[in-house]
Amino acid sequence: MAEESAIFRLEGVTKTYGGVTALRDVSLSVSGNEYISLLGPSGSGKSTLLRVIAGFETPDRGRVFFNGRDITNIPAHERGIGFVFQNFALFPHLTVYDNVAFGLANGEKQVSRDEIDRRVREAIGLVGLAGMEGRGVHQISGGQKQRVALARTLVMAPSLVLLDEPLGALDANLRNRMRNELRSIRETLGVTFLHVTGSETEALAMGDRVVVLDRGRIAQFAKPDDVYAKPATPNVAHFLNRYNVFDGTLKDKTFTGPFGSLAVSATTPSDKSAYAVRYDRMQVEPDGSKGSGPAIPATFVASEYLGSSVMYFFETAEGKVIEVEHHLSLGAPKTYEPKSRYMLRWKPDDAIVFG
Amino acid sequence: MSVADTAPRPRKSNTWWLIAPGAIWMALFLVAPIALIVYVSFWTQTTFKIEPTLTLTSWKTFFGSDTYISSLFTTLRIWLIVLVTTFVIGYPTALFVGLFIKNKTLSTVLLVICVIPFWTSFLIRVLAWRPMLGKEGAINIILQKAGIISQPIEALLFTELSVIIGMTQIYVVFMVGPIAFMLGRIDPNIIEAARDLGAGFGRIFRKIIFPLSLPGVVVGAIFVSVMVLGEFATAAALSGRKVNLLGNIIVTQVGSLKWALASVVGVILTIVMGLVIAGFLRIVDLKREL
Repeated sequence: MAEESAIFRLEGVTKTYGGVTALRDVSLSVSGNEYISLLGPSGSGKSTLLRVIAGFETPDRGRVFFNGRDITNIPAHERGIGFVFQNFALFPHLTVYDNVAFGLANGEKQVSRDEIDRRVREAIGLVGLAGMEGRGVHQISGGQKQRVALARTLVMAPSLVLLDEPLGALDANLRNRMRNELRSIRETLGVTFLHVTGSETEALAMGDRVVVLDRGRIAQFAKPDDVYAKPATPNVAHFLNRYNVFDGTLKDKTFTGPFGSLAVSATTPSDKSAYAVRYDRMQVEPDGSKGSGPAIPATFVASEYLGSSVMYFFETAEGKVIEVEHHLSLGAPKTYEPKSRYMLRWKPDDAIVFG
Repeated sequence: MSVADTAPRPRKSNTWWLIAPGAIWMALFLVAPIALIVYVSFWTQTTFKIEPTLTLTSWKTFFGSDTYISSLFTTLRIWLIVLVTTFVIGYPTALFVGLFIKNKTLSTVLLVICVIPFWTSFLIRVLAWRPMLGKEGAINIILQKAGIISQPIEALLFTELSVIIGMTQIYVVFMVGPIAFMLGRIDPNIIEAARDLGAGFGRIFRKIIFPLSLPGVVVGAIFVSVMVLGEFATAAALSGRKVNLLGNIIVTQVGSLKWALASVVGVILTIVMGLVIAGFLRIVDLKREL
């Protein structure tokens, strides 16, 4: 059975804080040796989900299984699950070495001094901090603190590591370097990482599979390219920040939205009707052009140069902002006249229709 | 030409006066009075007048007298005992207020409650212990009514014990405040991380919480030390003149216009305080912690 190989499994987990439901009926099964990223906007319950798995919170309903054992009522430190805090939560008065050694030296299990030393040096080496053992944690950079936090968790040899927005406190440059580093460390150890993030690019870049959380529910759990190409709900499309999502109604295979009524062939089942077109699948044409396919008139507002592509921002008559991405490999960027009207056109096959 | 060459260079000579206000203030109100006390301690004292003729007589009087020497040791003993009692009572209180109470508003309210006794005057707070500790005081009556004792405990009032009880109650809040402040600043994630790594509460307290609160303990200890070492009123009101601290000697000597001897005791007290503060500051690098 698939559930046998699952390293952890959630069954109908529900958690409410003072009338606000943070998690509703979440079920999830993750196998070993996998990098899972958990994407959700703030308030989607992603941190709560992580804290429930870690054991810092008890779910109101539902069970949590880890390595085939029901751990719902087992305290955090007996679960054997590692947790890397968003702000690192290093012990400020201890050195790098003592931070990493803390769990082995102060846990319930007696570990010999030699073994502690061996494992601590191994963990510090693994995260690339060899030679920094004696430094105080206030004497090292943000990226190095992140590595100490990781080493402190990994030294306990957990088979599941939970990372709560681990790259959120780092600057953009460092964040990109740590992405590769985190992935390679995980591959070396062969453990499962569950990485919570609010950044869609981070989620897609890092996860072997991506869980998208929307208002306390799992909206999609799939490989990054599937999430990107086939978002399961209008909100997932919205979180990805790569789709123009139009509201409207779907009736008898006809979608009625701000661009008029369109006959649609394939639809993605969803409780909300919406029409989504990727930023890079829209064409900008002169106002009044009579091309084939659906189109919407909009006023050009501004453009943004991104290096490999240019983003153009348009505004429809209703005030909705539409983004169009132009890859520079497809030709030189075009200049548009601000406050002038253009037609934005796309192929019907490129649209995803929810309803 | 570089910018640095064209920019007008600040001249050293016209900036030194910026420290003048602070320097003048310190000289007038700290350095000068202390120097004067040291100077007066070497003056010649006769029964009715004091002359600026330098002599060691007052210093010899102090170190030649058992009464004065023993009051120095009484001061040190009471100081150490009160330091311990305020820490033993203050630390758990601070732990409760600063760490166990998660609600910041509630912990602020509790700290304010600790300060309520200060709304009454110092003397009233001290004297209020008399009807509590006296032979027919509240504590003896309660213990007798409860049948725990048959005879009232007389050792409660006008002894060293009553001075220690009084001082502990008055100064414990100066220990609670700084410690609670430091404990309140500990990131809860740090404690959660320690727990997640498998450490029990005892270990977390010893290895994480206590070391992180140490600057608060040192600041509290300095507050309590400075105030207890210079104390005279609690000893005068609660010991029945049996406990003589250095402060009491200064009061008596000034009262009989013996300025030279009072200055000697003042100088000794200042040196003791200086040593105590320097000692505490060696424990923690406060500049880094605060």
